[in-house]
Amino acid sequence: MTGMIAAASSGTADASYFARAERREAWSFALLALPGLVVIGLLLIVPVGWLFVLSFIGKDGGVSLENYARLAQPVYVITFVTTFQIAGIVTLGSILLGYPVAYLLSQLSPRAAAICMIFVILPFWTSVLVRTYAWLVLLQRRGLINSWLVSLGIINEPIPLVNNFIGTTIGMLHVLLPFMILPLYSSMKTIDGDYLKAASSCGASPMRAFWDVFFPLSRPGLFAGTVLVFILSLGFYLTPALLGGGRVSMWSMQIATNVSTYSNWGAASALGVLLLVVTIAILAALNKVFRVDKLYGGR
Amino acid sequence: MKVPVSIRGLSKKFGSFEALKDINLDIAPGEFVTLLGPSGSGKTTLLQVLAGFVTPTSGSILVAGEELLTRPPHQREIGLVFQNYALFPHMNVFENIAYPLKLRRLPRSEIETRVRGALDMVRLSQFIDRPVDKLSGGQKQRVALARAIVFEPRILLMDESLSALDKKLREQMQIELRHLHERLHTTTVFVTHDQREALTMSDRIAVINNGALIQFDTPRAIYDRPRTRFVADFVGETTFLPVELGTSGGASVFGTPLRLPDHAGAVAAAQSDSWLALRPEKLALSPAASPETNVNSFSAVARETIFQGDSLLVIAGFPDGQSIAVRLVPQEANRGLVPLPGQPIHINVHRNDSILVSGDV
Amino acid sequence: MAGMADKARRRILAILVASSALVPCVAAAQDSVTVAGYGGAMRKGFDAALVNPAAQKLSLKIRSETHSDLPSIRVQVQSGAPAWDLVHLGGDECARGESEGLFEPLDLSKIDDASVPAAARGKSWVATNYYSVVLAWRTDKVKQPPKSWADFWDAKAFPGRRAIAGLAQETLEIALLADGVPKDKLYPLDVERALAAIKRLKPQIGVFWTTGAQSTQLIKDGEVDLIAIYGSRVSPVIEDGSAVQFTYDQGILGYGCIAIPKGAKNAAKAKELALAMVSPEIQANIIEKMDNYGPVNAKAYEVRKFTSEQLAKTNSSPQNAGKQVLIDAAWWAKNGDKAEEAFKSAILQ
Repeated sequence: MTGMIAAASSGTADASYFARAERREAWSFALLALPGLVVIGLLLIVPVGWLFVLSFIGKDGGVSLENYARLAQPVYVITFVTTFQIAGIVTLGSILLGYPVAYLLSQLSPRAAAICMIFVILPFWTSVLVRTYAWLVLLQRRGLINSWLVSLGIINEPIPLVNNFIGTTIGMLHVLLPFMILPLYSSMKTIDGDYLKAASSCGASPMRAFWDVFFPLSRPGLFAGTVLVFILSLGFYLTPALLGGGRVSMWSMQIATNVSTYSNWGAASALGVLLLVVTIAILAALNKVFRVDKLYGGR
Repeated sequence: MKVPVSIRGLSKKFGSFEALKDINLDIAPGEFVTLLGPSGSGKTTLLQVLAGFVTPTSGSILVAGEELLTRPPHQREIGLVFQNYALFPHMNVFENIAYPLKLRRLPRSEIETRVRGALDMVRLSQFIDRPVDKLSGGQKQRVALARAIVFEPRILLMDESLSALDKKLREQMQIELRHLHERLHTTTVFVTHDQREALTMSDRIAVINNGALIQFDTPRAIYDRPRTRFVADFVGETTFLPVELGTSGGASVFGTPLRLPDHAGAVAAAQSDSWLALRPEKLALSPAASPETNVNSFSAVARETIFQGDSLLVIAGFPDGQSIAVRLVPQEANRGLVPLPGQPIHINVHRNDSILVSGDV
Repeated sequence: MAGMADKARRRILAILVASSALVPCVAAAQDSVTVAGYGGAMRKGFDAALVNPAAQKLSLKIRSETHSDLPSIRVQVQSGAPAWDLVHLGGDECARGESEGLFEPLDLSKIDDASVPAAARGKSWVATNYYSVVLAWRTDKVKQPPKSWADFWDAKAFPGRRAIAGLAQETLEIALLADGVPKDKLYPLDVERALAAIKRLKPQIGVFWTTGAQSTQLIKDGEVDLIAIYGSRVSPVIEDGSAVQFTYDQGILGYGCIAIPKGAKNAAKAKELALAMVSPEIQANIIEKMDNYGPVNAKAYEVRKFTSEQLAKTNSSPQNAGKQVLIDAAWWAKNGDKAEEAFKSAILQ
């Protein structure tokens, strides 16, 4: 190998030889990245670019802002608010439910944690459709939960748990919870128990030690989980369609309606572009809040 | 702050495993005590009990006469330095050291003053705003130390605190720690498995093995008068020769009656399972048996010599086949006292350096 | 680029022609027509009653495929070479497709108002079957049978949770009927008035259903007590023994229709197939094979004698058709988008 390179550069390891070798190395890295770049280019950049272009094309085929003007209609405003409301509530709920679970898992012995982890991941192996229908069975007016509550005399009339905002939130929480727990768990796993002991020896009560040390150190996982759950929530379709009872309209449902019912690709594209822009803005804001880039020494 | 610490009948069982067996230890106010033992001996468990992270099965720890065990860890006023430093990675040097002071709700100006004072003490003043991941191992260790002493704890605990450092830095830190202790005089418990570190730093050393306290003494006493074969073996190089006890109370090795030290109890301590412990550097060589009355002289055959820079190691064999190491300083070697392999020699040891130890533990 | 593609296409064509010469008679013996429609149970009845018997009569071979509504057909027509020869759609989609010029013209000169009503055919499409949206209720909860949409709107006399479709079509008609608009004055629909009526009922509405399967489940599990639902979706529930009943009173009669995408390969044969499918003889099969649907060709009832049971289950039979209102697909083709958006806003607010 060395012999070949030396021969190619007429045998002397001069400055030009090293420059060439460096270039060759750079190129080989570029080649390695090429398949990934091609896939991203074809599957992401091109369609998003196309979406962007389409959103500015009116019904008559000319350049126009009519697709964006449409978004001022109440149905889109309501949908927009609902979408972010649900995404926010689901994210918050998944933090409240997921953080203690992830904490517990991270404190268990590796064996016990592996067993418990199966229960966290188990839902991944079932289709979202099946899980969503299962919630219907549990939550509906004559479903298991209402039947129990009524027969136990806790309530007189069945309470509406599904076909509304609550049902949608419950169903989405269930689907998205693992996306919160997994990154949290892997981030908590890396927190050395000695940090807490150190805090304790400094005089911090267990509660103080948690908030001053454990919680900040779990921030990367919390950020990853929050972003994952929030972004996935924004694009949810099936669960709100089945558990929302037609009262909960998510952004993706409006995009689908525009494509399938109105065959209006321009309007659907405008919806997509707006969602993308707002999502990126929120990501940037979340990054500021969590200060993930500053963790581990502020580079 | 100077407080006495008195450990009484401390035991800890993990299931059927006895990690600590009836430990009794009295630490004087301001004393620097090292817990020395091999890994798994229980020394770290003892430290964890002191810090409050392990609850003992039975026993008591009195600090200045007050029970420590009933206090939760964060109210024990104990400074703790870990082997891996355990500096909070999301705080810089100042924030790390200021943390215990913030918890104590000190005014900002005082926190500032005390953090600077602690940093001066560990000679890191210019690093006050550094993120901790930008520090070297030695610097991290000093920050950890500063964090542990800044709130003037009643006791300072150090768990293998220097073992992650390289040899040179470790030796330098040992001396610095020693000097720091001379300034602060905080009652300190230091855990290590490194006998040299223990000998260098401690006022007294507690040798622990299999969960039991074997010997608690000054470094010199531990080295010169180990009570058991384990202590002698763990603290320095040692050759053990079997001791035969005579009916009249006398002892002999290879049939040669031993001349034993003057200090009391040396012979009384001798039991049926007794050994003569010999340190290589306390031995001398002569072509014939030493005529001196204060010296025990054993005949052997030289096998090989090993050059070690500051000294020369002579390996010799006894008639029963057991080998023994004798360390010669260069001056002796220059005087032509180096035997050739196969040459019959005599190994001489002063009776005060002839240590009798018991064989158990 | 285009030149290369053309060359490639020509070469493929040449190969195809050459290979078809080797098997001259097999292809000629039976022409094939590709029919694209909806999936599910409805499709089975549709094929059994209409497509297969008509194809048999014409000795056509049928290839069955599934489309995704009008947009998928638009894309195919725009591509210049649609893969489907005949498509089954909802009435408003046929009307809209015709206005966009997506279909081949159909010669419907032999069909008059006495057989297929004018509202149920265009220049390039023809209805094939009626469906109904009817009022159904749980008999264990609603003791007194409701008779009209006005009853459905009356929460005091008929307490219980309600469900209506989350789609404007048929639902706006229902709301106007409930609000007292006479059957023959429905069109053009007064959207504002319909939405006002829906907003009034909203506290009583538990669910706005979006799929047929969902509507079935809602009434079957008793999630709601009264529902506006497809007749074909509720009758299996009743046959299952659930405590459910429905009425054709004030039902909305809508229709499915067929059309031939412009440029279809086998357009000629597909046109023959289309005409055969609406002929009285073939339409008569709907009465026997498609419960709660109905033939669009009124002459189907004269083809042979049907049992009273069959006639009772057929939504367009003389005894049932009179109770219901026929949907105006042309209105929906023109105003559907705006009405749908306004409806969505109303149910979300």
